[in-house]
Amino acid sequence: MPDTDTLIQRYLEGTLTTGEAEELHALLQAHPELGERLLQHFEMDAMLRATKPLVVESMGARPALLPKRRFTFATVTSVAAMAACITLVGAWLINQTMSPQPEAEETTASVAVLTRGVNLEWDSAAVTPGTPLSPGWLRLKSGIAQIEFYQGARVLIEGPAELQLVSSGEATCTRGKLSAQVPPQAKGFRINTPKGTIVDLGTEFGVDVGAQNAEVHVFKGEVELHQPAVTMKSLKEGQAMAIAGNTAVLPANASSFASLNEIDARSAMSQRFQFEKWLASSARLNADAGLRLRFDFQDDEGSRSLRNHAVNGAQIADGSIVGASWTTGRWPGKRALEFRNVSDRVRLNIPGETKALTLAVWVRVNGLDRTFNSLFMSEGWSDRKTHWQITRDGKVRLGIAGGGGSHHVDHDTPVLFTPERFGRWTHLAVVYDPAAREVRHYVDGELLTRSALKDTTPLKIGIAELGNWNDRRSSGGVAIRLLSGAMDEFALWDRALSDEEIAVLGR
Amino acid sequence: MNTHETQAAQVFLAHHDFVRGVALKYAPWPGLMEDIAQQVFLEFMAKESQWDLSTDARPLLATMTRHIALRQWRERTKQQPEVVQKLADHIRLLAEEREAPPRYEEEISVLRSCLQKLPEKSRELVELYYYNDIGTPQIADQINMKADTVCRALSRVREKLRECIERTTASQGGHAHA
Repeated sequence: MPDTDTLIQRYLEGTLTTGEAEELHALLQAHPELGERLLQHFEMDAMLRATKPLVVESMGARPALLPKRRFTFATVTSVAAMAACITLVGAWLINQTMSPQPEAEETTASVAVLTRGVNLEWDSAAVTPGTPLSPGWLRLKSGIAQIEFYQGARVLIEGPAELQLVSSGEATCTRGKLSAQVPPQAKGFRINTPKGTIVDLGTEFGVDVGAQNAEVHVFKGEVELHQPAVTMKSLKEGQAMAIAGNTAVLPANASSFASLNEIDARSAMSQRFQFEKWLASSARLNADAGLRLRFDFQDDEGSRSLRNHAVNGAQIADGSIVGASWTTGRWPGKRALEFRNVSDRVRLNIPGETKALTLAVWVRVNGLDRTFNSLFMSEGWSDRKTHWQITRDGKVRLGIAGGGGSHHVDHDTPVLFTPERFGRWTHLAVVYDPAAREVRHYVDGELLTRSALKDTTPLKIGIAELGNWNDRRSSGGVAIRLLSGAMDEFALWDRALSDEEIAVLGR
Repeated sequence: MNTHETQAAQVFLAHHDFVRGVALKYAPWPGLMEDIAQQVFLEFMAKESQWDLSTDARPLLATMTRHIALRQWRERTKQQPEVVQKLADHIRLLAEEREAPPRYEEEISVLRSCLQKLPEKSRELVELYYYNDIGTPQIADQINMKADTVCRALSRVREKLRECIERTTASQGGHAHA
């Protein structure tokens, strides 16, 4: 059997036989110190590969040897870095033209993202702006949705419409109106209809698919119209044509399709409407008998405290802002606090005990780089303290510290926060319901998971923090549990809210 | 390419070594680091309009890299025989359980200067294996030695470079995270 150095080298080279893999595994188990040595060799091996110069000078005559490794990203990014000095366009194009590894393609489901929406009502599963979209059907009952395909094409669909996303450069429309803006880098973008296929050559066009017929209107540039058993037709700017039947060229009618300007205006109006609706509902919410704390984050920008608006929350003082800075919330005009530095937090005190508890927050998570990422956490961790947090792997957790010598209990959701959800506003709620003997987690107003509650002893929150944590017992430094993200509303009830009540909050 | 895309590409390039370090921690499989960095770049750019580039990009990149690393790790190792999978899992756990954060970012620049200090024969070996992509059996044929001897020689070179990095960083006041 080869010696340890040779086994490690073969691991690095990917040439271990199964017998050698077994031997190396046994050695690692028998000699734990060997693990660190192997990892050091592994890291050095990776760094040496990354130091490979762009052009390798010949070291004299060599036998004809086959390269042992394929083209690597190191080369590409080195080129990209140089190109960035001249123009980052080069870097982008270089990387765009690289083929991702097959396994990555298999696991990357989304092909587009819903970027904006106005008065959206869906016949299919509801999606909200910011949601990545995987291949499949979108059935829009009413409203206007703006979809950006990863290849670069931007499409507006007007409900009622049915659109099937096929890939990052292709979709099928079986009903309704859509308009598309296709930049040069997305040239070749295809829209299929039951009557034929429109292939874009870098342009702007509209498609109207009715029950009996379908039309294509070209606003800018040129498109190709492909139909079964018919010669391909080319349509230029200002022209329109029925996709089947009468092939007479007609003038294009841009005004009958939604435009980006229109969605800009309607989107701004819609956001204003939602903001005002939220403002109007605040007074009723603040008066809820069980509401003990509500921060609406609409305090003056210079303010370093958050006012508690709960009418029945006199016993809970305003929150104190430490470090966190003001930013924009869910809508223009809505304020939020951004947590980005290790110092950032909002300190508050929830005195006494609570038999039941509901917590709700609007949060935008930018990333999960720590083992625990705080939403709302009691200071310390003992005697029925409560920690509401997101774990590094994206699960939302309500952790309750044990009292009287019992162990703590974690109530977790399945993985919720993946990179697809980062950067989007999400409504989270959790209910500690001793009557039903369960803990319920909600996302965007919908029940996500429920778990059994064995110990229904009242909770003692005490001093707590939004977006961070402090362990007052620690003398050797405090674990960093900062949330990387923003919050724009937080509320606490001393009663268990129902599914229906949470649904209203999360809309 | 719009301004935001340009900024996003700049942000990624500025953190490229950081991404590689995180990738190494979560997917210690030969040759996987660059594939992970590539995928992180593509996914970061695909959603660039969502990112607030005025904030520290590290938390976002760290999480993206970890997700992608674990995904690619699973994909890559599941193709291996069971005994190799067990070895790979063992090594991944060792890497994850290490207390020290990835040092790649700090060490890569030191490594470049250490490479210059290598004896000529060691430098030639590095060039053959790492830069000219020639496998150890072929190098052994070329220089008329046993393949195991080449493996041991490469191992010694890596250890020398590790010692050089440790010496250099110690003389500069130690690792930033220490």
